[in-house]
Order: sequence, then C-alpha cells, then structure tokens
Amino acid sequence: MCWLKSNRNGLVILLIAALSFLLPFSSYAAEITIGVIMSGDIPYYQEMQSAFMARIAKEGLSAKTEVLVQKPYPDSISLSNAARKLIAAEADVIVTYGAAAAAAVINEKTKIPHVYAAAYEPYISRLKAKNSTGTSVKLSMSSLLRYLRSMTQVTTLGIVYNSNEEDSLYQFREIVKICDQYGIRIEEINLRRHQDAKTRLKTANMDAILITGSSTAHMALPAISEYAHEHKIPSASFLLNRNSHTTVTMSYTPSEQGEKAAEKVIKIVDGTSVEKIRPDMAKEMEIVFNLKEATAMGWKLPMDLVAEATRLIK
Amino acid sequence: MRSPAVYAVLLVMLICCTATVCHAEQEILIGLIPEENIFNQMARHKPLASYLSDRLKTKVRFTILSRYGDVMDRFMTRKMDGAFFGVFTGVLAMEKLDAEPIAHPVNSDGTSDVQSYIFVRKDSNIRNAADMQGKRIAFVDRATVTGYLFALSYLKENGITDPKKYFREISFTGSHGSAIYAVLDGRADIGTAKSKIFQMLVAKDHIIKDELVIIKRSKNLPDTTLFLRKDMPKNIRDRIREILLSMHNDKDGREVLHKLDAKMFSEAKKGDFSYFQELAQKAGITPRTYNYR
Repeated sequence: MCWLKSNRNGLVILLIAALSFLLPFSSYAAEITIGVIMSGDIPYYQEMQSAFMARIAKEGLSAKTEVLVQKPYPDSISLSNAARKLIAAEADVIVTYGAAAAAAVINEKTKIPHVYAAAYEPYISRLKAKNSTGTSVKLSMSSLLRYLRSMTQVTTLGIVYNSNEEDSLYQFREIVKICDQYGIRIEEINLRRHQDAKTRLKTANMDAILITGSSTAHMALPAISEYAHEHKIPSASFLLNRNSHTTVTMSYTPSEQGEKAAEKVIKIVDGTSVEKIRPDMAKEMEIVFNLKEATAMGWKLPMDLVAEATRLIK
Repeated sequence: MRSPAVYAVLLVMLICCTATVCHAEQEILIGLIPEENIFNQMARHKPLASYLSDRLKTKVRFTILSRYGDVMDRFMTRKMDGAFFGVFTGVLAMEKLDAEPIAHPVNSDGTSDVQSYIFVRKDSNIRNAADMQGKRIAFVDRATVTGYLFALSYLKENGITDPKKYFREISFTGSHGSAIYAVLDGRADIGTAKSKIFQMLVAKDHIIKDELVIIKRSKNLPDTTLFLRKDMPKNIRDRIREILLSMHNDKDGREVLHKLDAKMFSEAKKGDFSYFQELAQKAGITPRTYNYR
C-alpha cells in the first residue's frame, strides 16, 4: 500500500511533468506564423495589409496567428534581408506586396509557401517560382499617358522610376517606347533613394510627370507633388495614394489584392498545397481624377476621359 | 341669327388655326442614343438642330437618351417626335412604335455603313472565341447591334450558349467609346463597339491601333438613322427628309455636316435593316419580345 501510495504520487508528478512539457508544445503547434514583406512602407501596401488582416480576422484566424510584418527599404539587400529573417523565423507562409519583395523571396528558393500581391506582369511570370502563387497586375502604360496628354500638350515627359526595382524599370522602358511613337522627349528621373527627389527634380525640365510603380518614387510622392504643383504640371501615378495631389491615378484596388492574398493564405493554412492554388490577376481598377487640383491649376479635363473615372476628387 | 353652317365653318377655321399655332409654338424633340461621350455628341449635333430649326421655322431640339435600354420608354414618355437610332433601336422603333426611317448620314469618306468590331489588346493572346473563356468582356448595351448583338451571335455561332458562365465578368459600358477605353486600360479583356467610334478614336490617337487588334468584324450595317413618328404630320416628315437630303448643297449645310463628320444625308429605307434579322436569329432574339433592359 505504501509502495502504491508512493508510486501514485510519482505517477502524478510524472503526468504533471509530461503535461507541462506537452502543453506549450501543443499551443506552439496550433499557432500560425505569417510573414509579410512590403516593398517599402507606402500607403498602397498599407491599405493592402489592412484588407489582408481584416479577411484573416473574418476567418477567425487572428487569435492563433502571429503576423510578422517587414517593411524594408525597397532595395535588393534590404528586401533580401527581410526575406531571410522570415525564413529564419520559420514562417508558415510568406506574403509579399509588390514585385520587388516577391522577387526577394523567390530568389531565396525557400520551401515556405509564398503568396504575392501587386506583382507586375509580365515581370512576375518570368521569375520561376515553384512555391509561389498570388495576384498580379497588368497596367496599360499608354492609357495613363493618354489621360495625362488629355490635360496638357506633352513635349517632354518626366518619368520617375528606380532602376533597382525591376518592375519599375520595365515600366520605364515601356513608357519610353510609347513616347517615342508620340515623339515625346523623356526626362529620366532614376530615383534610387527617395531622399534624393528634390535634388533630382531641381534640374529637371518637363511638361508633365509620370510616376511608375516604384516604391521609392512613392515614398518621394510629397516632394514630387510639391514640384508638380509649383511648376503647374500634371502628374500621373500607377499606385493609389488616397492623400496625394496626383492629378490622375490608374491603379488596381489595394483592398481587393489584400483580400485575395488572405484567401490564398487561408487555403494554405487549411492544407492546400501552394502548387494547387492558381495565380490570378487583380480585376478592380481605379481611375481617379483630381478635379480639385486640375481646376486649381487651370487645366480642363476632357469629359470623355473624365467619364471613365471611377472616382473624382472635387 | 347666324345659321349653324356659319358656326360650323367658324369652328373648323378655329380648329385649323389652333392646330397651326400649336405646331408653330411646339418644338420638335429628337433623341440621340449615347454613342460616344454625351458632351461631344451634343456639341456635334447642336448645329444640326439650329439648321433644322431655321428651315422648318419650328424649334428643333436634341436630347440624349440616357441609355440604350431606356430608348423606347423615354421616346414615349417624353413624347419625342423622332430619334437618331442605331440598327437595334431602329428595328425596335419600327416594331414597337411604328416609326419611319428617314435618313442617315454618309461619312466624309463616302461610306454610310458601319461594322461591329470585336477587339482585344494585342498583348492579350486572345484571338478567337475559345481563347475568351474565363475572361472579362465589355459590351456597350443590350439594345445595340454593333455593341452587343453581333458579338452575341458570334459567341453563339462558336457554341457559347451561356456567356454568363463562359466569361469571368460581363459589363455593359453604356457607350462605344467606354468599351474601347475599358479594353485599352485593361479593365476588360474583350470589347465590342461600332467601327465608326473605333476609327474616330484611332484618328485622335494612333497608338490605339497598335495596342488593340480587331479579331472579328460584322458585315456592313446602316449607321445611325433618323426615325420619325408616323403620327407626326406627313408634310413635316417630308420637309425634314427634304432638308436633310439636300443640305450638302448649301454652304451652311456643309458646315453642319462637317461638324457631324458627315458628307451628306442619304435616304433610309426599311430594307436597310435586313441583316439585323439574320443576327437576331443567330443570337436567338425576337425583337418584339426582347427584354433589352
């Protein structure tokens, strides 16, 4: 009896020890770690992330999910470091916003499932990515230029891009080709650091300014807008910024892409293999005309093009 | 005391006078279907209204019918005297309102016909109906031949009986210009529109030609045609027809025609609309019972 009693006590101790060992393990196993990388901390990607989180919460995953958000500067070293951090943290899935962040993860050749959003086509399709799926965007360079030309006669077009961001470089080259057909001269503004915007713009001479999908350029948006306003030239952008003074913006809705990314992540968390989730294209496009800015500058926007707008800022 | 015959004669005279005065005071209201941007369209047609008003000694006013589908209802509720209709709405007007085709503009290049185009972006890899599966298509309106019926008959010919299932997204842009811009911008993958509006935009911006590719064209169809109500006095209908058909002979008329991008007006007949029946049959549409809204 004494032996039984002492053995029973021992068993209890052993059980408690086993439970205390298993409990944290099981609670750790129930957690989902989602790594997120934005190609620069810009409002467009912030809006995407908000929609992503809202969709994750709607699915009831918030409580058991840890989201590690990385907002590196949009250069290849910073982006690559961010990708490596998330790989080291053993994220269950990595979500990227923007082609540059997507490329950084793909280049690491990790086995962690990767979901991208706002990745520019055809650039993203050229990257061979086995564990990746996501939503890409295809933008018409000529359309944005058309909207810009409708406001003013464009003899020299300033193009803000970053040659270190592949998608932005690709867009720059596309626009140059189109400008060549129209006989428009190019004022090239290759912005590798957003802090350089004012200096770069100081010596520039142009009738209108077009901002590619470069994150660096979008981080410099206040300086670009100020320049455009001072020199009374219209500006056009491929990334939506709800607080900017850009005259015309043609962009895919960030919230739609955030939701689509979340839906793909939910499937992965539920056990669907990433290879079985087909990449898709964003479909909700926003064309925003800043009538307030245009009126203040004395530009008359042609009504047939304004009619195409999804939103007018008055 | 005057005889009843005198009263009768006086009454008839009074009625005749009242009718004449009423007509002189009345305006002739003619509707325009939204083919392009409505502001441009109104600006292009305004000189024609003034020209007709001067010669008829009655005010002629144009008004834009808000959208194709409303055309028949608006025509009746707003008591319009006539309208520039496309082929589809023209056939509906003949069938449902007993309207009479009067004249249609002859383009500055001498053609008076248009075609329906089905087009895509050149970089889209869509070249036929099979490639269209799961894509987004932009039609103009259910009540247009060049912006809907032709494309629908093409799809049916290619075995696509339920476009709602075949396409990822179907949109109706409301104007031909918007359907073209939707494909150019990438808001739709496939579009359909009237050749005249397509060529007009290409003339303004030649890059459009390099970016879009026409993958199917319809046979020739009459362009916008002026229809007038049959209950409008015949002498007024004939006078309007006469003014339109001869306006290219005077300087003022030629200026008005120039604004419309037209060389002259030519006479329209019911037979001009026979190709519609072929397309309607292929698309499985009966105009009299068709729900165009």
